Amino acid sequence: MLQKLTTAIVELDRDAVPALVTQRLEAGDDPLEILGDCRTGMTMVGERFQEGEYFLGELLVSAELFKQAVELLDPHLVDGEGDKSAGVIVLATMRGDIHDLGKNIFATLLRAHSFEVHDLGVNIEPTQLVDEVQQIKPDFVGFSSLITTSFDSTRQAIEMLEDKGLRAGLKLMLGGGVTTPGLAKHLGVDFQTLDAASGVTYCLEKAAAAEA
Amino acid sequence: MAMISESMTSDERVWAAVRLERSDRTPVIPTLLPEPAAGLAGVSQAEVANDNAAAISATFRVFDDYGGWDNIYPGAYIPSQLQAAGVFPMKMKIPGRNLADDIPYQLDEVEIMKLEDYDKIADQGFERFFLDDYFGRLSDMTPEEFQKEKNDMFMGGALFLGECQKRDIKPFFLSNMLHPFFKLSLMRSMVPFTQDLFYEPEPVLRALRRMTDDAIPKVLEMAKGTGISISMITEERASGFFYSPKFFERFWWPYTVEIVEACWSEGIVSLFHLDTCFDKNMSYFRQLPRGSAILELDSTTDIFAAKEVLRDHLCLKGDVPAALLATGTPEEVESYCKRLISEVGGDGGFILGTGCSVPPNARPENFRAMIETGKQYQPG
Repeated sequence: MLQKLTTAIVELDRDAVPALVTQRLEAGDDPLEILGDCRTGMTMVGERFQEGEYFLGELLVSAELFKQAVELLDPHLVDGEGDKSAGVIVLATMRGDIHDLGKNIFATLLRAHSFEVHDLGVNIEPTQLVDEVQQIKPDFVGFSSLITTSFDSTRQAIEMLEDKGLRAGLKLMLGGGVTTPGLAKHLGVDFQTLDAASGVTYCLEKAAAAEA
Repeated sequence: MAMISESMTSDERVWAAVRLERSDRTPVIPTLLPEPAAGLAGVSQAEVANDNAAAISATFRVFDDYGGWDNIYPGAYIPSQLQAAGVFPMKMKIPGRNLADDIPYQLDEVEIMKLEDYDKIADQGFERFFLDDYFGRLSDMTPEEFQKEKNDMFMGGALFLGECQKRDIKPFFLSNMLHPFFKLSLMRSMVPFTQDLFYEPEPVLRALRRMTDDAIPKVLEMAKGTGISISMITEERASGFFYSPKFFERFWWPYTVEIVEACWSEGIVSLFHLDTCFDKNMSYFRQLPRGSAILELDSTTDIFAAKEVLRDHLCLKGDVPAALLATGTPEEVESYCKRLISEVGGDGGFILGTGCSVPPNARPENFRAMIETGKQYQPG
């Protein structure tokens, strides 16, 4: 049977979610178990989105509820305590573009699915991205783009990743309103999408395949 | 490609499409704003973002260099004027000021409007709220600077019209507005606005009511004053990509119908600039009076499917993708334009345009391929 908290997330109940998290913490429930129930809720929201019952609006609202729950849980979670990362991802909006709405939504959804997200921000230089990849050694790099002026810096970053031998084993993703399958081919990325939820599905599938 | 023998003026051609009639060839109107004009004219983004004359000069240089097209987009602005005029009531990053010279200006979305502001708008009207309350949170312009921005925008408009007259061409439209829904989303910013739609719908509805009531007479006055019977409405956030039909029906469609019907009763056609995917919303537009609107699609909506829904009912405009113009080849652009002209324009009611605007880094050979294919291709 579903926990009330899971149902509250799925039903987007903004009063019940923080109340139930607080109540369960006070009752001495394991914070990791509470977090797990929130994540189950987010998974179900994602399923409803895939089925066409929910839209981006519901994803946004549920992601905010999840963030609120995590803020309440954070002080009770010991760093690294049993919360296994599904994978590591670096996100960036590259030089020429300062938009970050889609990227931020994607980051929140990824965190809700246990990914470790390193969000570099907007207007990022290719060299900075490559330095971060060298240091963090992620499984995925996600490029966000709302306008075409970031295409050149995205291409430069990909070429630099190849030149430095960092491309192998790395899944490159491209998302945002102006991206197309043709552009993905042109840039040589592994995956392209207009919606954050299918990006999460891609990461989950690739992470599961790597695990198997 | 063989040249088509033209038997109509540009204006006759455009209006034939709007009225869903056949024309001698497909009308061509790319959304060429100062940012792509700068790219194609070899001028820096900083220049066109800070000087009306430079923006207008770049636009018409491209128009002349590429052989012209049917009507021209009114690109007489610089970004800070759009802010002062409340066209984009948002913070901005502007090249030459707080952005590198080679990057186009961009809107910087932050939550400026608060929940309690919906009722201020409902009570005072948008104009008064914007001037007396909101603008001070948005910008540190002095009243003198604010007035100068508005004056310069007006002067830019006059300069732009003068250039049109020299070439005997018309602007596609001059009257324009952001849909009240889109405007509120930008001012409140997307996540809080979405939460409001779910949890605080009544104040949102009160603000939408007032903004729509105020917008209608203003749009009618603007359109009549300019003598151009097309008025643009921009909407980038109401589609089924973002929200369910339930939300679309409650927060967007009724106000849209009111605006379109008020305009149409005065012979004014509403030009919808629709960004993001409206596939799930397309059938609603069949409820509008035949010929009362043009839908300008950005290439994320399936324009071929839209044609099936709206054939012989509303004119479509679009939708050569920005990514194709920036990274494709002339052959790919030509091939896509031919498909549009054949499949969407075959029986009229179509204007060849770009998916959203021409991108600032469009390849010149791709832009030329689009214009030339539009002007020369006649499907068999």
